[in-house]
Amino acid sequence: MSLATHELRKAFGGVTALDGATVEFHEGKVNALIGPNGSGKTTYFNCVTGMIKPDSGRVTYQGRDLTGKAPHRIARAGLGRTFQLCRTFPRMTALENVLAAVPRGGLRSAGSRADIEKAMSWLTRLGIEHLAGSEARDMSWGQQKLLELAGVLMAEPETVLLDEPAGGVNPALLDRIGTLIRQLNAEGRTFVIVEHNMDLVMSISDHIVVFDRGRPIAEGPPSVIRSDERVLGAYLGV
Amino acid sequence: MPNASKKIAMGTAIALLAAAILVFPSVAPNPYILSSGVLVLNYAVLATSWNFVGGFTGYISLGHGALAGLGGYATALLVVKAGLPSFAALAAAALLVAALAVPLGMAALRVRGASFVIVSIALVLILLLVFQSWASFTGGSRGLVVPRPFDLSRPEHHRVFYYLFAGLLAIAVLAWWLIDRSRFGLRLKSIREDEDKAEALGTPTFAYKLIVFVVSAGFTALAGGLYALWFGDLDPVFQFSILTGSYLVLMALLGGVRNLFGPVAGAILVGTALEYFKVEYGDTPLHLVATGVLLGLVVLFMPDGVLPAIGDLFKRFGRTRSSSIREVTAAELAEQRKAAV
Repeated sequence: MSLATHELRKAFGGVTALDGATVEFHEGKVNALIGPNGSGKTTYFNCVTGMIKPDSGRVTYQGRDLTGKAPHRIARAGLGRTFQLCRTFPRMTALENVLAAVPRGGLRSAGSRADIEKAMSWLTRLGIEHLAGSEARDMSWGQQKLLELAGVLMAEPETVLLDEPAGGVNPALLDRIGTLIRQLNAEGRTFVIVEHNMDLVMSISDHIVVFDRGRPIAEGPPSVIRSDERVLGAYLGV
Repeated sequence: MPNASKKIAMGTAIALLAAAILVFPSVAPNPYILSSGVLVLNYAVLATSWNFVGGFTGYISLGHGALAGLGGYATALLVVKAGLPSFAALAAAALLVAALAVPLGMAALRVRGASFVIVSIALVLILLLVFQSWASFTGGSRGLVVPRPFDLSRPEHHRVFYYLFAGLLAIAVLAWWLIDRSRFGLRLKSIREDEDKAEALGTPTFAYKLIVFVVSAGFTALAGGLYALWFGDLDPVFQFSILTGSYLVLMALLGGVRNLFGPVAGAILVGTALEYFKVEYGDTPLHLVATGVLLGLVVLFMPDGVLPAIGDLFKRFGRTRSSSIREVTAAELAEQRKAAV
């Protein structure tokens, strides 16, 4: 059993952000979550990862009920996430940013050789190892997005939730991120991606869920979603 | 090897600082100056203790004066009312305050930023009222006299406590250093940078903040208790004063909260300045004005504190020497000549 939600509801004042979202994502696949602005995608992510508590409904992951659990517990259950407006630790170096995600705490030195090697291997894989000693705040937007992803991967999540990985990213980097997601997926990680860039979504996803007004209106492989009338309607406002 | 030379520089600086602190009582011209030295060291311990919370998690507490006051009163009352030996009372008081810091922290650490600052101020004001009003137990505004632990002359008394404070400072600095270099410390600092992000990466932020708050409270109480044994007289107005917390914030910020010795450097600078202002301007509130001006200057011009500002200065000089524009153009010229031949 992979990540799933049952009848998830969340309202902010009078605005219903999630209106009974029942979704099941496919384990070991690249899942995409798309929908027009304000359709509840980010709220959905926040409810799943514990950043906000849903008003009702259930979140389950690998058979465990994660509803309303603290974000760090959900992270430790194997769900890693990035943020829509990429978030790093601005006044820590890239290496420290990644080391801060080592799954265990304790008074042992933060700079053990094994930890540093592992952190550097993630930085290298994402192509930013030359920035290991730079503070995150001195890095470009694209580099910070890669850094955030490196940190999330350091925590060894089985499922990675990416909130707009292509947002504000140049075409060359976009290609690299797409390839990377496919590679990481081939190594066994499940992905759930919120994204507006349809080229990216259609090219890397195995399974797409379409949200409108706080609930799923369609799901299926890219070929089906591309020609679904309800999806076109939701996007074009027909 | 820049790393090795950095370590040597750091080691030399620590050795110089330690030597200066240890030599001071021998060169202090009179007992009054020596007692000022005790006060400055007391501030250094308090500012370092404050920095367990302020430096690692970024939570600015103005309430640490109250934790020191609690440590002082707990020590004094355990000696006076329970008849414990002075230093047993001190240890017990620190443990008591640390235990009390658990519920205090659970309440205060739920809120962030300005709200946390206000909660920490509330702690001081509430305790001030309690300790003033509950005169039958605390002595109230008449004060509480604490028996001295040693039968010594006044200068000797100052000297002994000077070294006791120096020892406590060494332990506090060592503890801060241990946390600073650990995984626990790195995760604490990630809370300072972005608490929600740290939580999303699997850091149990609330538990981490609480642990470090309790450690901070324990050290603060030790400093407060030692002060009570040294000074021998406690008054709620001074023990539960928002000024104490403000001084600690000023010291830590001035020295630099990200540096092991930042709060110590800040305490030496501000503590000395405070004592000087008090001597010069007596009972006028001018020393408060001076403190305010100092805080304003630090925040405006040295937001990272004095130590990092000095470090940056050195770096800037170092860089111009190692790779000036002239050298680069000279190298390029050589290249061009080679290419021409």
